[in-house]
Amino acid sequence: MSDFKMQIQTSASRLLPLLAVALISLLTATTWAAVPGITGQTFNLTAQQSYVTQPDGAAVYSWGYGCATGANVAAPSFLPFPGFCNPMQVPGPTLIVNEGDTVVVTLTNNLPAAAGNTSILFPGFQVSTTDPSNSAVQTGVQGLLTREAASGGGTVTYTFIANKPGTHSYYSGTQSDLQVEMGLYGAVVVLPKNVAGCSNSKGEYSLAVAAYDDLVGATSTVNPSCYDREYLFQFAEMDPRIHTQAEAIATCAAGPGVICPTTMQTVATEPYHPTYFLINGRSMPDDMDANYAPEYPAQPYNGNPHMHPGDLTLVRVIGTGRWQHPFHEHGNHVRVLARDGNLLLSASDSTKLAGPLLFTTTTTPGQALDGIFYWTGKGLNWDIYGHKPGDGSVCIPDANGYYTADSGALNYYEWCADHDKPLETHPYGSVGSGGPATLPDANILADGAWYGGSPYLGPDATANAVGTSPIPPAGTVVNSPTTEAGYAFMWHSHNEREITTNDIFPGGMLMMMLVDPPVFHINEAQ
Amino acid sequence: MRKSHHIWLPVLLVCVGTAIASAQSFKVQCPAKTSLHPSGTASASFAGPVQGTISIHPDFGSDFQLASNDNGGAVKCQEVSGGDGYATMADGTQTYLFGFGPLSGLGLIANGQPGTQLADDFNKPYTDGPNFFNGQPNPNYDPGAPNPNGAITDVAAIMHTGVMNANMPAPLIAIDEDDELFLTLTNVGMIMRPDLFEQHTIHFHGYPNASSFYDGVPDASVAINIGGSFTYYYLAPDAGTYFWHCHITPPEHLQMGMVGQIYVRPRQNRVPSGMSVYQALVNAQGDLRIASNCSKDILCSTPLPVMPIDNSPSGGYVSGTATKMYAYNDGDGSTRYDHEYPIQIHGFDPNFHFVGMTFNPEGFADMKDKYFLLNGRSYPDTVNFQGNWDTSYGTSATPALYTQVSDGTNHPSQPLPTLIQLKQGERALLRISDLDVTEFQTLASVGIPMQVIALNARLLRDEAGNNMYYNTNSITLGGGESLDVILDTCTARGPAPDYACTTKMPTGKYFLYTPQLDHLSNDAENFGGLMTEVVVN
Repeated sequence: MSDFKMQIQTSASRLLPLLAVALISLLTATTWAAVPGITGQTFNLTAQQSYVTQPDGAAVYSWGYGCATGANVAAPSFLPFPGFCNPMQVPGPTLIVNEGDTVVVTLTNNLPAAAGNTSILFPGFQVSTTDPSNSAVQTGVQGLLTREAASGGGTVTYTFIANKPGTHSYYSGTQSDLQVEMGLYGAVVVLPKNVAGCSNSKGEYSLAVAAYDDLVGATSTVNPSCYDREYLFQFAEMDPRIHTQAEAIATCAAGPGVICPTTMQTVATEPYHPTYFLINGRSMPDDMDANYAPEYPAQPYNGNPHMHPGDLTLVRVIGTGRWQHPFHEHGNHVRVLARDGNLLLSASDSTKLAGPLLFTTTTTPGQALDGIFYWTGKGLNWDIYGHKPGDGSVCIPDANGYYTADSGALNYYEWCADHDKPLETHPYGSVGSGGPATLPDANILADGAWYGGSPYLGPDATANAVGTSPIPPAGTVVNSPTTEAGYAFMWHSHNEREITTNDIFPGGMLMMMLVDPPVFHINEAQ
Repeated sequence: MRKSHHIWLPVLLVCVGTAIASAQSFKVQCPAKTSLHPSGTASASFAGPVQGTISIHPDFGSDFQLASNDNGGAVKCQEVSGGDGYATMADGTQTYLFGFGPLSGLGLIANGQPGTQLADDFNKPYTDGPNFFNGQPNPNYDPGAPNPNGAITDVAAIMHTGVMNANMPAPLIAIDEDDELFLTLTNVGMIMRPDLFEQHTIHFHGYPNASSFYDGVPDASVAINIGGSFTYYYLAPDAGTYFWHCHITPPEHLQMGMVGQIYVRPRQNRVPSGMSVYQALVNAQGDLRIASNCSKDILCSTPLPVMPIDNSPSGGYVSGTATKMYAYNDGDGSTRYDHEYPIQIHGFDPNFHFVGMTFNPEGFADMKDKYFLLNGRSYPDTVNFQGNWDTSYGTSATPALYTQVSDGTNHPSQPLPTLIQLKQGERALLRISDLDVTEFQTLASVGIPMQVIALNARLLRDEAGNNMYYNTNSITLGGGESLDVILDTCTARGPAPDYACTTKMPTGKYFLYTPQLDHLSNDAENFGGLMTEVVVN
């Protein structure tokens, strides 16, 4: 641990405790994301109570969907790698289905009695609540927005045809201001059927090669939603006072002089005062831990994106809860593909995209957004690998200007127009000596935990840097220049008070996206 | 002044003594020429990329020649301080800031203009004003000298100028496509909070394909200690309305005022007279860096427009006079404007600012803005174009609002009014960004329709080339978002290429204001807040 202390001594002292926690948690479980979930056509879910944990040590009483267990219930199948599906989790299990599937979701209400009925809405789909084996019989009991699973183990079955590829949200349609706040929400990912328009092969941890079906035009078939890797981020805020009140009712023991409420109607959901700001149910730095990390039995999904230069990265973003969150992706713009599974296409040419380019993809409650992000370092006017003329490095531009001829090269996908233009050719002190820039004495700067000690990317970054020795020494940082050697970018809510955990900075809706050098293998299942 | 030095010196000494190995850590960087711009200055026009070579100096041996495209542009420089200071709210309350202040282009900034300069001007001494803010004499004072707004690079002069000189918003930065920007941040320390030892950084928000090194996120890069300088280097990105801010403890440093604006003007402004802007955009496809081919690049920023139909060299919208300005490389002239106005939306929580000045623990979840700001001012200060002009400073008129800081000296800390002035028939480009850290903010226009032409520094155009501009009377932004709006005071126009106005809106006073009525307040005052005027003459 002495290494950590050396690394973080330059940070503001009041941030030390949490940053140390962040570093420790990262080191013990360096891991990445993808879109993990359960797959099939029949899902047996339960709604139950449990606790979610937060990085300030809080265990917050919550409700969540999870996988039902029992003699007659098949174990869930996982994609894209094995995991667990406990009876309660926040968000609920991500349901991964294929376009055209008839999806049958049976929900059992195992919430405490006072919670009353519960349900699931699947916006965007035509949902039937009849018994799949007898269409004359309705399942569940009638609620306001849909049929509901009655309190005390009641069940309801929702059946719909997954006819819309893309990312969709699901959430409780019963006393939603309380039940969604308590954690009853999740995602449906529908994989497209026709993806011949893509030339890429399916990514190692991708669910598909494209987010949407091919677009058939008059002269050609194209698919603008092809991708190399993907992530799903569900944004929600949480007001722990609501949870405390709900827990008090749920655990109320009637006795002499004590009359317990029989419903949750007395839980005050206003005024709303959230203090936790969650991505996939976790606050930073917990979101950087592994998917299915054992320390989060009720929060299996993380938020920890990684990519290589040039990777087309599908970003699936869902807003939950009540508030909008301006989710800012450092590093580049995002092309918005679709909202709620509806591709945004040109009115004059239905094979062309019409979604905006955004550097801040604002989340909206109940809305799912799909977008494509990539990063290449194009146009910086300096060589991100620090190559110098005559060093033997190669960058032969393809038709788009990138070096793609050798997929095994250290600088695969380099922007060749900037090749051999190192940021500085002479060390500190020689202003304008063949730059474009000259860096200051490294000793006057404070280094971040994800900073490799030089401006450059890749395993040669340290060797290609000039001037004073890069600090901190190799091996002491999260993103070590001797191992990962990536570029780190913060992806976070830009309503900045939301990157806190119960008044502690850093925390909340914050993650670090790593652009890793091409030769670094990104093992999302790790 | 004396008081501030008593607090400051130990801080500086401790920091410098423990941290640096070299003699001087304040260091301003602005090369007169670079490999990309061997002459340093701008070429006059852009008709298309000019293929050529640039020279790269190796460590040893002779220069290497690398193929490159010359699209014009210039070396531009700007210097800012990171520190603290004060501003005055519209109800008269003096408010403590963490903020950036100008260390170059001082007169430009105080005039509400961008402080960005050509290297030649930047590297001249600062000759305006006999004294620095703290009363120390300016040894370079030379009334009447041309280009008086050069950078302040002397260590003592940096402290004389930068201490307690935070601006709200931060110094305005404006560059052109193909420029190289050398942006130096010097951390002069926060005199009122010597306990913090706070670093600062610059995050160029929205810079495409950013390097993490110059992205300003302290966790992913370097942060600048008190007593140090760092020069951020950017090749200008695609045209658009961006913004910048410190990225240290963002909920704190942004709430406290470390927010500013940066915009990039398109090379279409440099298309020579008589050439169609469409043709120039076609020609631009010859340089892959600036090309926008949607069939190959899903992040293509400016596809060729479906209009104009006339693709001949003289067809389309002809760039004619020096007054023709465009927001984007639209290729069809649709983003032309007569005047541009940067407008940054923000909010201040007076409790947080008080706590921020007084060494108390800060609550983030409880943050509640009560001052709602356009360019750091609330109505009616937003339309105060004269300010409380301090005649002891400089020689030119200024719209800046001055506030006395804790050493008794006045600082032009709120330099930007938001008074929009148009002649009948003219078009205003509103470059609107929001860096509020707590909630979404709406800005509405009464009377003049808002045409939204771009979101997040990108033209609203589908990949087939159709403009997707839309008319509205209100826009809503969260923190970290920007958009561009055209206010057109003409209701009917003649045909291209002149689009002469045939029906003008009546003269008079129009308003931009927020329909979030609780944001029309200055703390306890129930009238003011997020509002300004559009005056049509």
